[in-house]
Amino acid sequence: MGTIHLFRKPQRSFFGKLLEEFRLVAADRRSWKILLFGSINLICTGFLLMWCSSTNSIALTAYTYLTIFDLFSLITCLISYWVMMKKPSPVYSFGFERLEVLAVFASTVLAQLGALFILKESAERFLEQPEIHTGRLLVGTFVALSFNLFTMLSIRNKPFTYVSEAVLGSILQHHISRKSRNLCGIIPGLSSIFLPRMNPFVLIDLAGAFALCITYLLIEINNYFAIDTASAVAIALMTFGTMYPMSVYSGKVLLQTTPPHVIGQLDKLIREVSTLDGVLEVRNEHFWTLGFGSLAGSVHVRIRRDANEQMVLAHVTNRLYTLVSTLTVQIFKDDWVRPALLSGPVAANVLNFSDHHIIPMPFLKHADDVAPVTSTPAKPSSPPPEFSFNTPGKNANPVLLLNTQTRPYGLGLNHGHTQYSNMLNQGLGVPGIGATQGFRTGFTNLPHRYGNNNRIGQPRP
Amino acid sequence: MTRQLTKWTVDNRLKFQLSLQLPVDNAAGLTKYIVLLCFTKILKAVGLFESYDLLKVVHIVQFIFILKLGTAFFMVLFQKPFSSGKTITKDQWIKIFKHAVAGCIISLLWFFGLTLCGPLRTLLLFEHSDIVVISLLSVLFTSSGGGPAKTRGAAFFIIAVICLLLFDNDDLMAKMAEHPEGHHDSALTHMLYTAIAFLGVADHKGGVLLLVLALCCKVGFHTASRKLSIDMGGAKRLQALSQLVSVLLLCPWVIVLSVTTESKVESWFSLIMPFITVIFFVMILDFYVDSICLVKIEVSKYACYGSFPIFISALLFGNFWTHPITDQLRAINKPAHEESTEHVLSGGVVVSAVFFILSANILSSPSKRGQKGTFIGYSPEGTPLYNFMGDAFQHSSQSIPRFIKESLKQILEESDSRQIFYFLCLNLLFTFVELFYGVLTNSLGLISDGFHMLFDCSALVMGLFAALMSRWKATRIFSYGYGRIEILSGFINGLFLIVIAFFVFMESVARLIDPPELDTNMLTCILIFNVLILLIGVFLHVLADTLGSIGVIVSTVLIEQFGWFIADPLCSLFIAVLIFLSVIPLIKDACQVLLLRLPQEHEKELHTALEKVTGILKDAGINNLTIQVEKEAYFQHMSGLSTGFHDVLAMTKQMESMKYCKDDTYIM
Repeated sequence: MGTIHLFRKPQRSFFGKLLEEFRLVAADRRSWKILLFGSINLICTGFLLMWCSSTNSIALTAYTYLTIFDLFSLITCLISYWVMMKKPSPVYSFGFERLEVLAVFASTVLAQLGALFILKESAERFLEQPEIHTGRLLVGTFVALSFNLFTMLSIRNKPFTYVSEAVLGSILQHHISRKSRNLCGIIPGLSSIFLPRMNPFVLIDLAGAFALCITYLLIEINNYFAIDTASAVAIALMTFGTMYPMSVYSGKVLLQTTPPHVIGQLDKLIREVSTLDGVLEVRNEHFWTLGFGSLAGSVHVRIRRDANEQMVLAHVTNRLYTLVSTLTVQIFKDDWVRPALLSGPVAANVLNFSDHHIIPMPFLKHADDVAPVTSTPAKPSSPPPEFSFNTPGKNANPVLLLNTQTRPYGLGLNHGHTQYSNMLNQGLGVPGIGATQGFRTGFTNLPHRYGNNNRIGQPRP
Repeated sequence: MTRQLTKWTVDNRLKFQLSLQLPVDNAAGLTKYIVLLCFTKILKAVGLFESYDLLKVVHIVQFIFILKLGTAFFMVLFQKPFSSGKTITKDQWIKIFKHAVAGCIISLLWFFGLTLCGPLRTLLLFEHSDIVVISLLSVLFTSSGGGPAKTRGAAFFIIAVICLLLFDNDDLMAKMAEHPEGHHDSALTHMLYTAIAFLGVADHKGGVLLLVLALCCKVGFHTASRKLSIDMGGAKRLQALSQLVSVLLLCPWVIVLSVTTESKVESWFSLIMPFITVIFFVMILDFYVDSICLVKIEVSKYACYGSFPIFISALLFGNFWTHPITDQLRAINKPAHEESTEHVLSGGVVVSAVFFILSANILSSPSKRGQKGTFIGYSPEGTPLYNFMGDAFQHSSQSIPRFIKESLKQILEESDSRQIFYFLCLNLLFTFVELFYGVLTNSLGLISDGFHMLFDCSALVMGLFAALMSRWKATRIFSYGYGRIEILSGFINGLFLIVIAFFVFMESVARLIDPPELDTNMLTCILIFNVLILLIGVFLHVLADTLGSIGVIVSTVLIEQFGWFIADPLCSLFIAVLIFLSVIPLIKDACQVLLLRLPQEHEKELHTALEKVTGILKDAGINNLTIQVEKEAYFQHMSGLSTGFHDVLAMTKQMESMKYCKDDTYIM
């Protein structure tokens, strides 16, 4: 509990660390299966690449890239297992959940880049169509298809399943579902087969294999080589259509956006919070998805001078944490600072209330930084460097101290050079807006996180 | 007569309802209308193929005259426009006259397009229902097109037209284009031909453009005549009268024509049957079935089911029309089956037909606006209420040219994005010069190099776009602003570079094993080009390009001077490794930011600051620093609130484990 081990230098080499983490993951039996599939995938991809160069078919190459994408998705699955085991570290104070998102994003983007490359290649081939040998084309197709389907259906890939269910549906899925709905309108009996949404990866695998079969047939019958390029373009476009919504979804998580479907609920909660007894306003509310499905948020609550901040805090957290699992609430009580008091540099604004023990943080801003003091600090129209982010994180909140008069430690904080005090300003949660003095920070969290005392504030956005 | 009027108002109300896409329960008995519609459309295709054959011997104005005459005859017979309905005022006659003139012009354009492009292409271009064209136009010219699906449909449509324009090698027509001033039957056709020749396109391409124009005119015409048809007491009556008027209009022209020019027709008697089929299939049957189906079937479904059979049958007839199988269908029997080469099926036509079918499908489907909204609750009437949220709505209100103008202004405001922009422009310029020169000299190497450069430019475009977006104001969804987009685009760019490095690596390994001969003439050209890129790269500090240029220069010099063909793959190998190594830190940084890591440059300072805090606390007499959250009051309230009681219990247990509840001093 005592010392905060914040910035331990890494002792081991990069590969040593990697090996250790790998051992951690390999301890789980489920990951063995993934590792097995991964190794089969590598072999399979190697063979497929060989056949690609021997048949000179770009459509098969495009299909092979889907196999490579499978490899990425396996890696993502492995990462998600690792993430589940890993506790948040002081440097990654939000935990490693986002690594999963990043992996999904990276693999979908890589698949799209591969598709882009295929498009470029096929544009070149459009000008000069080389001859295609059909020898291994069908074999390669079926090897890749069976392997892909086997992987997709036998491994429960949590992150990708989540994303593919969360996105509104790829273009391919849209078309298939609309067609099947039309078909079901004519022949009602088919609805049980077609109406459930198909897994997009299975769909694209099947569609790609179909395109390759057509390619094979046309080349065999007519020697119509251009169909190879055409089906490569088709596969690439389908890849785009499937991957693009997923990368947009995961990219939005990475961009710290509020998911649109919770905005209504959040609005409702914020309205409820702002009507609580003692709450004057709720501002600077930020909510974003941390990983897949877990919401994080920070909120500033300004309360009346005679309100019981603990009570407000309890109510606010109680309302919000049903939706937001990682929540930071910052409570301001600024009415008791009279503007006249602020003219003095420090110390003068230390006030005590009978039943609250509040240490107003000393005024650390330099004169030119000080915002015009009002009882309600103006909400910045465009977010400046958000201090809500720089609020002390889970542990660094020096919330309550009794007995303030004994030592004006504010001076101690203030003696540093400019950069240091600025740093403190941003890093330690003394709000940049001058008038906000006493603050409380409460946070609710998943219960197990309460023991984590060595966590430091969030990194800046 | 009043009954008919009410029926028509009811019909029109229904139509408006349908165009508003209100759900109409019409599942029962739908199938028979669909079958009827499909059958009619196939017959229409037959009729148009027939009329193409007819137009080879009959002059176009005469043809239209006969068509209108026949239609007017039948419709007057069926509808009895004079004996039924309200009497027509003088104003209305003038309107009917205008209607007839517009109808004549459109049919003239249509059939002239038919003679130019052949029946297959005419069917593909012209047989789109109004809703398809209207939603296409609304996507193109208004910003609220109706979502990405519609945009996709519009893109498909445009691709299809472009396919017909560019990739359709209609050989016969190209031959005809050589003598556009040749024997033309009348001043009108001559005028149109010269107009097309003036545009500088081949005849069938001119026909494509003409048909697109005619399609737009047709839709406008239908929309404009809707009100008139209500005034007249129904579209059928209007149609009958308008056909009659147009017959009278065309009459003098046809008389003059038949006097001045000699006819190519051998016997008009043999043409009676074909004309009757055309009149029935193209004009009458189509019109009546359309008006029935529009009432019974939803507009969107009508457009979908109507366009599909006509395109498919057009494709089939296009392939088999000159084939002996279809002899029974053809009314004009040719003496011998000469192998026809005109307006044959080509790859471009098939591709464009596929795209037309797709786009008709997408554009005609009703737009579902409810998908993006969040469900709030129910209105007092019981209809669901949705909350439309999202940035797409905010940004979609701009029109495209204004958006481009504004973003250009923004780009040029700041120096870094300005540099990227200039570099991009230069790169694109080079690319197009290269592509153009490659096409001119028919050099495949140059063209493929141009594609390479285009590929590389995409990264620049993305970076530019990210730089632009990062300055957008924060919204509800992007509550921290768009600043992270730049980081994300940096990450994607890093991945992009890795992919490029990987491909270059693979390629150079393949070349190391089997070094190909290079064309030294082109190398000099590339050398000069790369020196330019190098200079720009140095100027703009674009590392990867600079390195690449250096490598290319070195390898070119080596090959030119010493004939070491191995130098090229070696150099590219080196470049690939260099790119890869230079990208890794970039990706690592971006990853760390995206994973919400504590910023590395602040680590030290934060550490010292925290230590200061602990020092102060130690001075204050608190030694064992623990992080503790809340006060007793908080817990009381928390446990008082019913929800989440178990969590509170867990918290309380933890609190007990910390022995710091002596007084009110809690240190976090």
